[in-house]
Amino acid sequence: MAHPGSAHARPWRFLVTGFSFVLFGIGGAMLGSVAVPLLWLVPGSRSTRQRRMRRLVSAAFRAFVGVMHGLRGLDYDLSGFTRLGRPGQLIVANHPSLIDVVFLIAFVPGAGCVVKSSLWRNPAMALVVRGAGYVPNHPTDAMIDGAAAALAEGQAVIMFPEGTRTRPGQPMHFHRGAASVAARTARCVTPVFITVSPTTLTKHEPWYRIPRSRPRFSLRVGDDLDPVALSAGKPLPQASRAINARLESAYASELPGY
Amino acid sequence: MPDKKQVLEEVTAALVELFEVDASRVTPEARLYEDLEIDSIDAIDLIDRLRQVTGRKIPAERFRSVRTIGDLIEAVQQLTTEG
Repeated sequence: MAHPGSAHARPWRFLVTGFSFVLFGIGGAMLGSVAVPLLWLVPGSRSTRQRRMRRLVSAAFRAFVGVMHGLRGLDYDLSGFTRLGRPGQLIVANHPSLIDVVFLIAFVPGAGCVVKSSLWRNPAMALVVRGAGYVPNHPTDAMIDGAAAALAEGQAVIMFPEGTRTRPGQPMHFHRGAASVAARTARCVTPVFITVSPTTLTKHEPWYRIPRSRPRFSLRVGDDLDPVALSAGKPLPQASRAINARLESAYASELPGY
Repeated sequence: MPDKKQVLEEVTAALVELFEVDASRVTPEARLYEDLEIDSIDAIDLIDRLRQVTGRKIPAERFRSVRTIGDLIEAVQQLTTEG
């Protein structure tokens, strides 16, 4: 397939992608070693500091996406994002690429997020995730309690119920953690349907496998689910199963054959 | 220490209520995950439910070694005898 005027596009995107990892690493280290400690000096309550930190991370991620887009490394489109970031909103998303979370945090500025617990041991990122009050995805009750508490105090929280990146072409399977959090304290659950075409930065390809055409990230916000209605007075485990089933079917119909 | 039978009754009641498990399947030999399909997320709800009965919470580290209903009963008994 010919791409007019893009004879050098693929080697270029190779450079841009490589550069993006360097940029992200350096940016993360700068954020963690300079910006976070400086911001920490500004007085304020725990929640004020946390909000500030989240705004900073969000702005940094927006800048990152802007640079990637400006260098023609990727395209993206967002739809329905004005409906994200409401109090007590659990935002769930499928996870086709490494940088989905970057998009969500970039464009939902105040939100909390359940992220890989290994980041708490990463010297560049530890202060960032701590300062922003993100929740580590421990496989225990700490994650469920942490995310449920954040929602209960009125934050919006982002979770990836697949737990790990989507395997393209395989049926999506959600861990019940997100649904269990939803059944506890979420006021609404809002799915975001993410597609990346052609696929890039999946779990199973190395970063340097550069797709033939510029990848387009498409993030579409779906209709809210009402966790209270879906729970219908059931005990927690059954409520979370009902919510999970509803989520899985929403993804199966909105992203068929994904 | 509450006797085994008593704890088994509490555990059975919790499993029936939370997971609609058939009470006849709750035997000391039954494995939580393989036989009763209680996964790690369910375990959190189960621990929470048992806490309401016993007033104490089985620590996550202790629960990790629980495989069967028998193990669970032991963990609950231990919980209620310790200090």
